Amino acid sequence: MTNKQIAGRIGQIVLVLLGISFITFCLVMLAPGDVVRQMISGGEDIVVSQEEIAALKAELGLDQPFFMQYLSWLGRALQGNLGLSFMAKLPVTEVLFERLPGTIVLSLASLLMMLVFSIPAGIYSAVKRDSIFDFIVRGWTFFGVSVPGFWMGLMLLFIFGLKLDLVPIVGGDISFETLILPSLTLAISMSAKYTRQVRTAILEELHQDYVVGARARGMSESHILWKEVLPNALLPLITLLGLSLGNLLGGAAVVETVFSWPGLGRLVIEAITYRDFQLVQGAVVWMALMYMVINLVVDISYNYLDPRLRKAR
Amino acid sequence: MNKTLKITAAAALVGLMAFAAAGCGGGDKKAAKGPKDTLKVGVTNFADSLEPTDNYFGWVLMRYGLGECITKLDREMKVVPWLSDKWEIGSDKLTWTFHINDKATFSNGKKVTGEIVAQSFQRTFAKAPRAKSMFQVEYIKGEGQNVVIKTVKPVPNLPGMLGDPLFIVIDTTVNEKERDYRKMGPICTGPYAVKSFTKAKAIMTRNEHYWDGPVPFKTVEIPSIDDPNTRAMALQKGEIDVAVNIAAGDLALFKNKDKFNISEIASLRDILGRVNVRKERPLGDPRVRHALMKCMDRETYAKSLLKDTFFPGAPLMPPSTDYDYKNLYAANPDKYDVEAAKKLLAEAGWKDTNGDGYVDKDGKNLELDCILYTSRAELPIYAEATQASAKAIGMKINLKPVDYNILDKLTREGQYDISVCNTLTMSSGDAEVFVNMYLATGQEQNGSGYSNPEYDALSQKLAVEFDPAKRREIIIEMQKIHLKDASMIVWGHPKTNMVSNKSVVGADIQPCDFYWVTKDFKPAQ
Repeated sequence: MTNKQIAGRIGQIVLVLLGISFITFCLVMLAPGDVVRQMISGGEDIVVSQEEIAALKAELGLDQPFFMQYLSWLGRALQGNLGLSFMAKLPVTEVLFERLPGTIVLSLASLLMMLVFSIPAGIYSAVKRDSIFDFIVRGWTFFGVSVPGFWMGLMLLFIFGLKLDLVPIVGGDISFETLILPSLTLAISMSAKYTRQVRTAILEELHQDYVVGARARGMSESHILWKEVLPNALLPLITLLGLSLGNLLGGAAVVETVFSWPGLGRLVIEAITYRDFQLVQGAVVWMALMYMVINLVVDISYNYLDPRLRKAR
Repeated sequence: MNKTLKITAAAALVGLMAFAAAGCGGGDKKAAKGPKDTLKVGVTNFADSLEPTDNYFGWVLMRYGLGECITKLDREMKVVPWLSDKWEIGSDKLTWTFHINDKATFSNGKKVTGEIVAQSFQRTFAKAPRAKSMFQVEYIKGEGQNVVIKTVKPVPNLPGMLGDPLFIVIDTTVNEKERDYRKMGPICTGPYAVKSFTKAKAIMTRNEHYWDGPVPFKTVEIPSIDDPNTRAMALQKGEIDVAVNIAAGDLALFKNKDKFNISEIASLRDILGRVNVRKERPLGDPRVRHALMKCMDRETYAKSLLKDTFFPGAPLMPPSTDYDYKNLYAANPDKYDVEAAKKLLAEAGWKDTNGDGYVDKDGKNLELDCILYTSRAELPIYAEATQASAKAIGMKINLKPVDYNILDKLTREGQYDISVCNTLTMSSGDAEVFVNMYLATGQEQNGSGYSNPEYDALSQKLAVEFDPAKRREIIIEMQKIHLKDASMIVWGHPKTNMVSNKSVVGADIQPCDFYWVTKDFKPAQ
């Protein structure tokens, strides 16, 4: 990627963020029902007086025309002020940063677990195609993809927390012990996808002409696999990895709820329930930003990881 | 069978056996350990902050045993003394004098005086708009150990309203700039004081200056465990000693065991069907309304469909309140009687003339639009059960699920025949707000067109009646009118629960949803 291309991508990011923030604002504010009533009641079915609603509307400037409200938010956001969370009565940035460590730790731990399992399993499964191991791995990947996250989480808690007493059930704080099961839950479903991906990529590469050539030149099978096939096969996985990391950094609401993990996913769900629009806006902008920045980094990293691209430049 | 298949089957069998073996043991092994000087309570927390004037966050201060009010509500929802040991109202029916208990102290050891309580209430009025919507004051002042409050209009239930967690008494002499109320909360008078607080977990320590007897636990930890299955597992394992609100499906895990106490009570909520009684609507005819009420088997709904997690309804007020539920329920004129229901419809001119299974009049079937929201699981169950029961007498009910926000709007505007909701009947020790809200003429929430001069007269009488016994009688009379007029469907009242292991005593759930951790939670001897 040239510097010009990178600058173009950054420009795209800014435009996409503007679009996303506007769409989110529309969705939150124009959704059926009264946003202010919902904010006061916290999504609960309690009776809120029209007097209270009117007072808060005026206080938050929600009695202004829709576009004025958006422009006013945008103006503040461009100066780094994402507004105040109605739910927490704190600046949105502070609320987001409070939950960020939990999300980062969970994302990295689950990615690490996933890689530790899926790369060796995928490679071995491809090399030993149609063996018992391959059969078991393929069965496992079907299982991992099909099982919903919340069920997997509850089962892991039941077995390893309640019955085998190996890990605590009550989460709520960030520690090694409380991290194991939520990251394992996320890793299981991700590894199901990645193992198949690695297996397919390796199989494809193993059938390439350069492998036949290498064999003809008398190279050992292990040299062909580790030095020739693997670097080529893993390259497309980096893109997938970037997408997954972007997803995870937006929070994993279901898993966070089951394990009481203090991350962004639960925060966003709560914010939507409360129609805490400034917090929803902030969180969505953050998620979109993470997604796009990571993908940009992945694209840039190709320059260094793939000699063919460097040569083309 | 080929070799691969055999080996795979063997591997699967080993896996299953490991799973089953895991399921056989362990379980409740820690349940008997119990607390020594630390109590752990699993709850669902909605508050990000401990500032009592923000949103409904005062509830959390009270639920966690941090804050107290000058009055509280007992198990029958009657107002009883707390920080205030006595009170009286002046002859103008506007000026109240509350005497603060001489023994009462804050957790920093400072004495609670009338002056500080008055400043605390003034702070609440200054910061929380909800306070003004409850009642309006001319002045609040402290005089020695007395707090004097003069209201703008007569407020017969002022002592009950001051029991709302919004009016938790805080030490106003503390410099707010030096203490982060969000994370540490204000200095209050409860048995425990904050050590640390986040939305996910609170840790409290014993209030060494507690004024109302010994505080049993040195530390109380309250993790917020949002998922009900996880909460139940944590209690089974013994990671928590008490769990608030175990899901109906999980309660069986804790029944018939020597290791757990289940404390269960009817909550203060009603599952209501507000019926549109405007003349142009089918339910405008009282005979059709009574027929609808009679076709529903509310006892079976509660026992079978809701697995005995509800009390059957009919009167407006739930059985946990002191408004004669038992007698009113027995006197309900619309007990389950399908034949009587059919007869009433026939009297009203509704007959199945075309044999389609639904009664009709003037060429139109008897169809009712029933709006409901589905965020509470019991609402669709009640609505569908009623739909089936109504079909048996030839009424067609069309269920229309909507978001609660929409339902609220449609109901206020009268665009429905039946509007299903789960609603709180009282939170301040008095049912006046609730009995007026949906049925008194001219109320903002009364979109049903219901208007009964007799009911309105009682409502007006209630507004100026200060004698609790007479107020109770008036509310009972209003409920009788509701039953006679079939003014709303009251399907039932949900039960609420608190489950504790046997190492804790006194963990009893109360009808009022803001008393959880109290000084009465003690380690078992």
